[in-house]
Amino acid sequence: MFKSKETFPPALAKKFLRWSLREELEEEVIGDLDEKFYTTIKSKSPFRAKLNYWFQAFNYLRPFAIKKSNPLSLNPFFMFRHNLLVSLRNFTRYKTTFAINLIGLSTSLACALLIYLWVADELSMDNFHEKDNRLYQVMERRQNLDNIGTQQSTPWLLAEALEEEMPEVEYAAVATPADWFDPFTLSVEDRSVSATGIYVGKNYFNIFTYPLIEGNLSKVLSDKNSIVISVELARRLFNTTNVVGNEIEFQHETTYFISGVFTDIPTNSSEQFDFALSIEVQKDKIPQAFEWKNSGPNTYLTLKNGTNASEFETKIKDYIKTKTDQTHRELFLAQYSKNYLYGGYENGAQTGGRIEYVQLFSLIAIFILAIACVNFMNLATARASRRTKEIGVKKTLGANRMGLVFQYLFESVSITLMALIVALFITYFFLPQFNIITEKQLTLQINWQLLAPFIGIALFTGLLAGSYPALYLSGFKPAAVLKGKLHTSFSELWTRKGLVVFQFTMSIIFIVSVWVIYKQIEFVQNKNIGYDKENIIYFQIEGKIRQSLEPFITEIKRIPGIKNASSLGQSMVGGGNTANIGWEGKDPELVSNFAYRPVNYGALEMLDLDLKQGRSFSRDRNDSLKVVFNEAGITAMGLEDPIGKVIQFGPFACEIIGVVNDFHFQSLHSDIEPLFFILVPPITEKVIVKLEPGKEQEALNALQAYYQEYNPGFTFDFRFLDQDYQAQYASEQRIGTLSKYFAGLAVLISCLGLFGLAAFTAERRQKEIGIRKVMGSSEFGIVYLLSSEFTKIVLIAILIALPISYYLVASWLDAFEFRITLQASLFIASGLLALIIAWLTVGLHAFRASRLSPSQCLKEE
Amino acid sequence: MIETRLGDFEEVILLLVGILGEEAYAFRIADEFESQTKRSVSIGAVHSTLTRLEGKGFLESNMGSATSERGGRRKRIFTITAYGKKVLQNAKDFKVSLWQQFPTLSTGK
Repeated sequence: MFKSKETFPPALAKKFLRWSLREELEEEVIGDLDEKFYTTIKSKSPFRAKLNYWFQAFNYLRPFAIKKSNPLSLNPFFMFRHNLLVSLRNFTRYKTTFAINLIGLSTSLACALLIYLWVADELSMDNFHEKDNRLYQVMERRQNLDNIGTQQSTPWLLAEALEEEMPEVEYAAVATPADWFDPFTLSVEDRSVSATGIYVGKNYFNIFTYPLIEGNLSKVLSDKNSIVISVELARRLFNTTNVVGNEIEFQHETTYFISGVFTDIPTNSSEQFDFALSIEVQKDKIPQAFEWKNSGPNTYLTLKNGTNASEFETKIKDYIKTKTDQTHRELFLAQYSKNYLYGGYENGAQTGGRIEYVQLFSLIAIFILAIACVNFMNLATARASRRTKEIGVKKTLGANRMGLVFQYLFESVSITLMALIVALFITYFFLPQFNIITEKQLTLQINWQLLAPFIGIALFTGLLAGSYPALYLSGFKPAAVLKGKLHTSFSELWTRKGLVVFQFTMSIIFIVSVWVIYKQIEFVQNKNIGYDKENIIYFQIEGKIRQSLEPFITEIKRIPGIKNASSLGQSMVGGGNTANIGWEGKDPELVSNFAYRPVNYGALEMLDLDLKQGRSFSRDRNDSLKVVFNEAGITAMGLEDPIGKVIQFGPFACEIIGVVNDFHFQSLHSDIEPLFFILVPPITEKVIVKLEPGKEQEALNALQAYYQEYNPGFTFDFRFLDQDYQAQYASEQRIGTLSKYFAGLAVLISCLGLFGLAAFTAERRQKEIGIRKVMGSSEFGIVYLLSSEFTKIVLIAILIALPISYYLVASWLDAFEFRITLQASLFIASGLLALIIAWLTVGLHAFRASRLSPSQCLKEE
Repeated sequence: MIETRLGDFEEVILLLVGILGEEAYAFRIADEFESQTKRSVSIGAVHSTLTRLEGKGFLESNMGSATSERGGRRKRIFTITAYGKKVLQNAKDFKVSLWQQFPTLSTGK
């Protein structure tokens, strides 16, 4: 820190003195304080001296020294202190109310803060690219058998052709999505790491803003032997980032030269990869893919400044038709940064996507806040009538109305601000857990951008809740108030009840939704999906295994604990290839997209698929290029007697040897679509292994040891099939977990409010209860008296909430092609649950009130 | 009505004014008080007492000289009036007479 030789007394303190002191005292006092300052600084730190100066300055706030000319100038100070004192006294006097308010408000504010952080992060996804406003993804619409499909995958040749032929395009690049390939093995000398890679066109880094710290932006990928790596990967391989020109061995097969290093990809990017290779590598590997009929990777482009995107979209709409004879495919543009949130398409039209969850959670945050605010207002207004005497006395002693208004507002705002501070702490402590659930890396950075809306909410709640006592009560005539002639108006009672109805409606909706989400997730997890996914692992075919797949499979079958082994095109879960096939009697105009899975011998048996007709692939016959359909496939083709028929698949004629029962190869969101298995072992990509139950660990260890020996330099990176299956529903699981907490919170906060109100009513009606008991009412009668009022409120809430919640959960379930049926019992149970919770909350007070001896409640007057 | 009784703190301040003589101004008195009693006191509190004592007629004050440490500001020097001295003497005599009546003084227990 900057340290000057001379330190001066704090200027602000001096200003304060000049403002508060009588003029005739100013000279001597400031002189004295300055002298004190310079004496102190000789033996103590400048900070201590300054602090002491302030202390001395404040100690001159004494009657003899304060300016006389403006006797009211310090009044706000004293009033502030007085208000603070009265507020604190009220807080300690009504501890329950204070606790309910503080707990309710702070937890709901914390909840809203967490959701706010999540929403802000979601909204910031992918919008950091410099050319964001002219960065587009080209996507494809396909006229399918019975609907219009939308896909990100576009022809491999598209980007290059668009860049060449369209003057509007600044840069265009093809890119394989990061999740296409499992992590690759990269090595330098004997250090091997596993890293995610993408194959991209040469202008990729001109389109996206992943800044290069090494290498030339327009040349990094012009050579097909180049590799561009992230800073983190460079550190892992070389411990430095100054690595351009160095060699990296890829999959122990090929060597690439590092041409650039890009800064690590920010967490708010939806594509996460460690290195990029040239698309030319894929062109050499699979040249047959590079023709217009084949779609695969994504295509991105930036338009030149000033280009009208929709005009350009119209121009390229029929572009594929100019390249092929296919008429069912057309292109359209989607703004890249919007794709993350608005990525949902149905029948060719954009419908929602993640934005729905963003909206849903924003709504939840608002409702939870509203519930807590309602508590606060209800309790504040209920308690306000107790303070009429205080107002009466104050008014008699000459308090003006503004002062009273200010006092009440001050009190309510101070508690909301207190709650905000507690909320910040709660958020801070729960953020790590929240990050685990949402799979985000959110951080709580206290800045005005974050605080301003929340201080706004706190002030708004405080002012709103405080305005009733402040404006209404302060207007009373002191005499009337002191005599106790104050009646609670009907409208006031109704507002309070209405607010409680609102709270309970919200809580019931939450309860129903959480219940339904849970049942659906349970349903999905336990549904018989038509194949066996338990105890099956799979891993990538790479290195030596690729060259000698059959011996490897034969060998690992011998490992104890391994039941069976085979290989598949892709994992059973998730996307896969589709093809337009031909069959006998097919309408030549018809374009059919059949999913297909290349398989090896034994794969169908391992997955335990039920054969409906014909036979499965057998080693005893030459079954190469023969196919097995699922039922849906046969139905789609309309074949009567499929076994022995031949289909046309590309250049190959394939004989149908069997039909299996339908099974869910896609998530339960979608219907079962036509699919066929084709026996082509050389193009399978994954080894699948069935483990014996109970011996999983030993088998995996033995397999790992064997793998390392057989395939040195590669990591044995396997996945469980059932985990992949669960992962399909990750977003639903997340919603389930989050809504569970939010619903719990909403119910808790509502109950807190009810608890406060019940306590208040029980107290107010003490005398009535006493008299009733004297007249012979039973304890049960009293309990009934007190709870019936709240029961009515909750019943109204149930009536309102059930239709709303039915509508909400039904529309959520619509996204699933296979779903639970909504039963009335679930709704009734939810309503009963809310009622029971309310009874328990109120009953406690009602019971306590009924047990009081009448003499106790009647003796005071 | 002017209050003429002397409080404990007032007595000490009055004595310190007498001891300090020409140097008796608020800061010096507060400083001297702290070093003699080992108790901290704010200048404001001392100043307020001095003003009160002046009001009771025990003290009178004049503006004195300025020093550079004070930023060229003058200080207010307090001096004990004859009435003040008499009040101090009375207070002392009263206490001495009380001590003389105190029974265990001679034995020291």
